[in-house]
Amino acid sequence: MHPKLWVICAAYNEAPAIGRVVTELRRAGYKVVVVDDGSTDGTGQIAAAAGATVVVQPINLGQGAALQTGIDYALSQDADILVTFDADGQHRVSDIPRLVDALGRERADFALGSRFLGQSYNLPALRRWVLHAATVFTRLTTGLRLTDSHNGLRALTRQGAAAIRLRQNRMAHASEILAEIARSGRRYVEVPVTIEYTAYSLAKGQRIGDSVMILRDLFAQELSR
Amino acid sequence: MIAQVIFSLLLCSVLLYAWTEYRRSPVVALLSFVVAAAGVYFVWVPAHSTRLAEFVGIGRGVDLVLYTWVAISLIVLLNLHLKLRTQLELITVLARKIALANVNVRPVEGRREPGATSVSTLNDARTSPLKPHAAKLDEGRSRRKRDRSA
Repeated sequence: MHPKLWVICAAYNEAPAIGRVVTELRRAGYKVVVVDDGSTDGTGQIAAAAGATVVVQPINLGQGAALQTGIDYALSQDADILVTFDADGQHRVSDIPRLVDALGRERADFALGSRFLGQSYNLPALRRWVLHAATVFTRLTTGLRLTDSHNGLRALTRQGAAAIRLRQNRMAHASEILAEIARSGRRYVEVPVTIEYTAYSLAKGQRIGDSVMILRDLFAQELSR
Repeated sequence: MIAQVIFSLLLCSVLLYAWTEYRRSPVVALLSFVVAAAGVYFVWVPAHSTRLAEFVGIGRGVDLVLYTWVAISLIVLLNLHLKLRTQLELITVLARKIALANVNVRPVEGRREPGATSVSTLNDARTSPLKPHAAKLDEGRSRRKRDRSA
């Protein structure tokens, strides 16, 4: 167990899932910070009761903003390794050691989970197609050769986390992280992970129409640089 | 032809914008959609805009005015969008500082027993940005009361 490893969960109205997620992470011995992104369903209280440190954002800002808040908090706690982990329960705690091992083995600053190198259960065909299109988009815009560009399970070294800054508050942050990784010039590695979609995580996840909004946000950010 | 293509692309971006904004503000989205769709139509069928202009008693020169108006509107729209983004970034920085200044739920380090709960003051955390100031005000009021009674 790495003593200075923090797991970061950004959560907005995740009351049905957050308790189980935090309990599993704590049972495995990880320090967990849940960034409650202005939830109204008691997500923060449930996470705290399950053993997480909870940072409460006073208003709903979006997953990207919540992740950056979690990264800032973990860095302030002298974290050496930071893991981002979705709050809806689609990731497996047992994948975290693989990501951490890959960081050391490959001397990388970023270990990115890939469901297409690993396994995914109940992934709808349309979503699979959109994810592949996003991967092509990422390769064209950042030059990163990845198989899965929108996976929320990642491990970052302290140096890697400090080298990136998320300005995309909402869904475009997943693309922005990759752009930031490319800009930093630091080493990255992909690691096979398992993602299990449930009816809950599919309902909470992104919709196809959101991809238009992501492109719009990325374009707007380029203009406002 | 080049101008028609450029204006069509700009107007299509407004159509996309209208689609993405529909959930947040349907009225604005519908208005944007109608104006952009009419713009696309008149760009490709300018004779109809002339007929419309004649119908309402304005000459052909209105085409140029109409195109210019569309272009200016798009630029203003884009500018407003970018300004709103800047404002949101400032709000994000502020909200993050408030959130990080009020972290007061800390679990016991190391392995937790299943089912165990940590002491939480999360309700305080949710409203905490104002709580310290409120507490100071209360303290001040109590002190003044004590002074008066003394």
